[in-house]
Amino acid sequence: MKLDTSGFETSVPTIGFGSSSDMLDELSSVPSFDLPHTKEFDGFQKKAVDMLKHAKGTTTLAFIFKGGVMVAADSRASMGGYISSQSVKKIIEINPYMLGTMAGGAADCQFWHRNLGIKCRLHELANKRRISVSGASKLLANMLYSYRGMGLSVGTMIAGWDETGPGLYYVDNEGGRLKGDRFSVGSGSPYAYGVLDSGYKYEMSVEEASELARRSIYHATFRDGASGGVASVYHVGPEGWTKLSGDDVGELHYHYYPVPPAIAEQVMEEATTE
Amino acid sequence: MQIFEYNGSAVVAMVGKNCFAIASDRRLGVQLQTIATDFQRISKIHDHLFIGLSGLATDVQTLYQRLVFRHKLYQLREERDMKPETFASLVSAILYEKRFGPYLCQPVIAGLGDDNKPFICTMDSIGAKELAKDFVVSGTASESLYGACEAMFKPDMEAEELFETISQALLSSVDRDCLSGWGGHVYVVTPNEIKEKILKGRMD
Repeated sequence: MKLDTSGFETSVPTIGFGSSSDMLDELSSVPSFDLPHTKEFDGFQKKAVDMLKHAKGTTTLAFIFKGGVMVAADSRASMGGYISSQSVKKIIEINPYMLGTMAGGAADCQFWHRNLGIKCRLHELANKRRISVSGASKLLANMLYSYRGMGLSVGTMIAGWDETGPGLYYVDNEGGRLKGDRFSVGSGSPYAYGVLDSGYKYEMSVEEASELARRSIYHATFRDGASGGVASVYHVGPEGWTKLSGDDVGELHYHYYPVPPAIAEQVMEEATTE
Repeated sequence: MQIFEYNGSAVVAMVGKNCFAIASDRRLGVQLQTIATDFQRISKIHDHLFIGLSGLATDVQTLYQRLVFRHKLYQLREERDMKPETFASLVSAILYEKRFGPYLCQPVIAGLGDDNKPFICTMDSIGAKELAKDFVVSGTASESLYGACEAMFKPDMEAEELFETISQALLSSVDRDCLSGWGGHVYVVTPNEIKEKILKGRMD
């Protein structure tokens, strides 16, 4: 867990009366860094970190079942109350047999997942075999642990299929890493857990599992203000991952709860009041 | 989040040709969690006067009850309905009475005055009136609503076109706001009738 300390070395030597003497040259090689000009030295870093800390406004879930791993997520990005996008890709394809989900800071998740993809590929080239899901999640957890306290916001699940079968790990910015069968991350996760836990059976078929995942995401987008957009569902099997569906939750609502058609001849955007 | 954004709301009113339309979203939430999708934000004071209240839901309901009370007293004493301009002044006075412990709502008042001339106005939470000739907005989605109304509004629209315009403006604005939406409620009022419609919107 070696931290990158190249930022400490300054290009300009710190001591410089008459820089020709030998003793001064040795002293000038001591690593040091520029102190920031601020009144409040003790607190300013925490304030800067808190400013960037985004609540994990999203819903992602993943579970292991007989047919592999099912991964699903919404697609809304919010900045406080404003919806900045309804079409964010929150399921990141690390390599053809491993997926990562995004919750928390979008930049953090995208960067660290791509970084993980690079490390996995290097492992493959160095060891002539694919990395396991356990190994990949451990790499990510260790990287995040070394940046603990610096304000990264990452709540991700690594799902994949390796020699031992399906694998699912939860990794977060505190450096925590948990192995499990069912996870949901984000502000909409309590609602997704409710539907997922009550409908889950290990012996589900792929169709039943994908419908359960889609329904869980839909219910979370209904109740949670920070989740919405499109519910994407991916399946990870022995041959790798495939995208099963990407349904707009606005339309899914009327698919699950259709409004009885109005008798009158009025035009669009009208529903009978109850 | 701020106290005005605790429950989430969006209200808009527009002026047409001898008619007006007032619309609101239907969500009641507790910060990010949605509790109900049929919350009434717009209420009728009399056949030609409606008030929509955005902001903290408890104050919305209490303030509405107080205003209905005051209007009923007025009706008993004056034996007629209140004019919209008068009602706006009444609301402004009631809000300013609580200057140092205000009702945390922003009302939108819409009515037909003398000669069926439409009247709309909005206020901040301590009673500063803002009269407008075209449209007024309030709530957590107000910035999006300003943009949408500015782009879609045309003066002197008839009731049908006004309904389409206000519905589109409301739905497209709340689709950019996490805290409001989950359907829409529109009233289009002409001198002879009140049309009430519920909009099918995105439920996320």
